Amino acid sequence: MIAVLGLVVGVVAGLLVRPEVPAVVEPYLPIAVVAALDAVFGGLRAMLDGIFDDKVFVVSFLSNVVVAALIVFLGDKLGVGAQLSTGVVVVLGIRIFSNAAAIRRHVFRA
Amino acid sequence: MSDNDKSDASGKHPETGEKRLREELPEEVAATPAQASEAQALDAGAPVAGEETERSLTGRQRLGKGLWPPRVTRAQLIVALLLFGLGFGLAVQVASTSDNDGALRGARQEDLVRILDELDDRTQRLEDEKQGLEDQRTELENSSDQAEEARKQTVEKERQLGILAGTVAAQGPGITLTIKDTKGTVEADMLLDAIQELRAAGAEAIQVNGVRVVAGTFLADEDGGGVSVDGNKIDTPYRFKVIGKPQDLEPALNIPGGVVQTLEKEQATVTVERADKIIVDALRAAKQPDYARSSSQ
Repeated sequence: MIAVLGLVVGVVAGLLVRPEVPAVVEPYLPIAVVAALDAVFGGLRAMLDGIFDDKVFVVSFLSNVVVAALIVFLGDKLGVGAQLSTGVVVVLGIRIFSNAAAIRRHVFRA
Repeated sequence: MSDNDKSDASGKHPETGEKRLREELPEEVAATPAQASEAQALDAGAPVAGEETERSLTGRQRLGKGLWPPRVTRAQLIVALLLFGLGFGLAVQVASTSDNDGALRGARQEDLVRILDELDDRTQRLEDEKQGLEDQRTELENSSDQAEEARKQTVEKERQLGILAGTVAAQGPGITLTIKDTKGTVEADMLLDAIQELRAAGAEAIQVNGVRVVAGTFLADEDGGGVSVDGNKIDTPYRFKVIGKPQDLEPALNIPGGVVQTLEKEQATVTVERADKIIVDALRAAKQPDYARSSSQ
């Protein structure tokens, strides 16, 4: 409950404050958001499986974000930034879908 | 304890298929070891069945349990913090993408370079087009200017030619030559000499007693005295209105042995007066030639 509240408060704060994204962070923010979404779905699935561990969640969340940003950064340096970002988004999307499928089986038993 | 409970339960509810199965199983095998094996089977089976139902239920139950009674634990707080960050980043990204310049904001460097190139090309094309249109406009303006200029020149030329041909009136500096023929001795050829002299001195427009003198003018003596100009009889005094440079015209008439002296020898009175403004307003009708046509078309 507190976690859901945190998400809602974050969205509201982001919409209200509307901070200027620093130019350095700008290319990495979308990928980081997608990676974090992947971690959240994974955490939700783990919770439904009953094997949720907050330490694992925190580490996976942060490492997901950092690795995704790192891949994009490396891609930009190598000149294949667009392709690598697409790759990262595809992989994370596949993971999100499989996690969502597991969650769906738990919640709807279907 | 559990054995007793189970057997009691099976005894109490023999209609349940599962329980009946378990009851039937021991009857088929030997009695004494069957008790132990049955007990083991029951012990193993009961928890398995129970855990199965518990696990499939707890997916939802855990979700509901985690959602409703809000417990402030370390895990919840940490997850809330991370999710706050996620929500914040999500909202910021969505907001910046949906901005007006979102299309360019999210674009990568190579895309931006390409867009810039395209814009440059487009600008170049439009500049070329503008240059061409401006050239065309200048050309049209020039040609219309030229047409206007040509028209003006034509009008001017027509006016000049009209003065020479006697179809338009003219005014300007010049002289007035008056010949009084008291004895009736002045003849047409004397007047013609006077006209020739005036022309030679640069006279531009001449009229004699209301008759315009042009290139085709002829003079003839009349039978009863006097002179006819182009068939119009005129009488003395013969009054010439001449437009030209007075300083040239007057000496041309007065030279020794010239027109004035010749006429005075014939007892005629000749006066020459300069004037700043002579008006030659006698006109001749413009005559369309019957056969000759302009060849400049």
